Amino acid sequence: MNFCSMGAIPNTIRSIPVVALIWLSATAGMAQTATSRIVTAANAFVSTLDVRQRQKVLFAFDDKQQRKRWSNLPTGAVPRGGISLKDMTPAQRAAAMALVASALSARGFEKVQQIMEGDEMNKTNERNGPPFGRGRRGPPPGGFGGAPPPDGFGGGPPPGGPPPPFGRGGNGGQMFGRDLYFISILGRPSEKNPWMLQFGGHHLALNITIAGERGVLTPTLTGAQPALYTINGKTVRPLGQESDKALALLNGLDESRRKQAILNYRVADLVLGPGEDGKTIQPEGLKASNMTAKQRAMLLDVISEWAGIIHESAAAARMAELRADLDETWFAWSGPTTAEPGHNITAYYRIQGPHLVIEYAPQELGGDPAMHVHTMYRDPTNDYGRKFTGQ
Amino acid sequence: MNINLLLVALAIVPCLPASAYGHRLDEYLQAALISLEKDHVQVAMRLVPGVAVSDFVLKSIDTNADGVISQSEQQAYAERVLRDVSLAIDARQLRPRIISMEFPRVEDMREGLGEIRIEFSADFPLGGPKRSLTFENHHQRAIAAYLVNCLVPRDPDIRVVAQNRSRQQSSYQLDYVQAGVSPIPLVSGWQDERVWLSMAALFLFARFAILWRQAHGPTRL
Repeated sequence: MNFCSMGAIPNTIRSIPVVALIWLSATAGMAQTATSRIVTAANAFVSTLDVRQRQKVLFAFDDKQQRKRWSNLPTGAVPRGGISLKDMTPAQRAAAMALVASALSARGFEKVQQIMEGDEMNKTNERNGPPFGRGRRGPPPGGFGGAPPPDGFGGGPPPGGPPPPFGRGGNGGQMFGRDLYFISILGRPSEKNPWMLQFGGHHLALNITIAGERGVLTPTLTGAQPALYTINGKTVRPLGQESDKALALLNGLDESRRKQAILNYRVADLVLGPGEDGKTIQPEGLKASNMTAKQRAMLLDVISEWAGIIHESAAAARMAELRADLDETWFAWSGPTTAEPGHNITAYYRIQGPHLVIEYAPQELGGDPAMHVHTMYRDPTNDYGRKFTGQ
Repeated sequence: MNINLLLVALAIVPCLPASAYGHRLDEYLQAALISLEKDHVQVAMRLVPGVAVSDFVLKSIDTNADGVISQSEQQAYAERVLRDVSLAIDARQLRPRIISMEFPRVEDMREGLGEIRIEFSADFPLGGPKRSLTFENHHQRAIAAYLVNCLVPRDPDIRVVAQNRSRQQSSYQLDYVQAGVSPIPLVSGWQDERVWLSMAALFLFARFAILWRQAHGPTRL
């Protein structure tokens, strides 16, 4: 993973000492638990903020309005709470991203960065003209080359004229870009008492509840547009594994199971997207109890693409829970059963169990649905960690 | 549906600004979530017109075109939606009533961000242990993207047996069983107006027969 290339070089150079200190303090000591590491990173971040910024970032743990203030839409369209990376100094951005990284697995953090980088491409396209088509190659506004530690995405504006005055919101008319991601903290970072970290923007909503040594990532929304891009010669598909693994599972089913899994109707969008907290729909499709051991393993592998976004120890506990539920977990598919090689599927799928809802929904926006996807990850019994926090 | 207007709406899709990114453009998403109870059903509808069709939808809501969706316009539109959906239990039509509605700002709708929420419910006539609920939605069918799902019933006595939908999810049938209900409820038909009318007619006929007999005396054979 490379943090340096995500921002402009001058900012990177300026922030190296601060970043190094934050990184060291956040990761020092193998004996540290995941929670203590996250709390350290959270306190380090908060300590970089001035009074006005703290007031914007910190919320009460039981602030229900702030909990729900997330969306797949750009922040100019649906304003988020907290403060954006755009409104931070390079050192603050570095601390913010170190905090996010501390709560996630390496792959999870990479996924987050790739989603943000995709939005930077939207920003470039917003300036350069009409929306891109399939596989359009844009110049890398940042990049993935380089070495850690994180530089906090502190890039200056990419070349080009001023953005058109789209939308409302408080982003000066800007709708897209890797710096339009907001961070907020609900409650006081603690190793014992529950608190929450929220981080998100366009196509990203991480709601991470920390309750003692437990970590809960639900509800979380990931999305990608473009779902495929090239940067520094490297092809990036932020949600490519979610697509490829599910298609492999579908193709691994024999005819009768496949018939059960494939729904005979179109699913145009997420059913339990933003604003649909706490709801459980009647499951459909193929039940994992009717799958072979290999198919069940493949299903778990698909699930791990979401469950594994959070840091390793929380992910392991979550996967154990979902493995125990596997007999009661369903897999349903709607749409085309093939995909162009190297591209995402254009089908919707859902995985649902007693403690799980995953939805993968390509977006048909008059363009290529393989290039634009929204996904949802929920635990209807434990969204926002309410099982552990009672709230 | 004015097809010309729709074609114009679709034609402008490629010209839309970047604010159109990230959400539905040329469809009118209509998502229904059904909550089932033994004695009634509640349906929560979320209606989101895409930016390419939002002006068209808005014209049918803001009927006086003053740029504000008044309370009466909200009520009128919700009732129109309700007329375009049908709800039936065991093949008997239900009469849903609106229980809540929420409309976005006109500006949000114009940007394709507005979300209309309408909730309605309908009482069930008594029924047996096996029941079948049907829901049909034909609202703005030329531009609609329908979704319909049933929430897992809160009542553990109710168990969903099957769900069947049309390809576009405009028609939905939900078969379920419920415990703790007598198999052939003798009084269930009493709730039907036709039964009451028949009984009233029978009563009037009997009364008339008695009066006629009194007036004409017993018939001698």
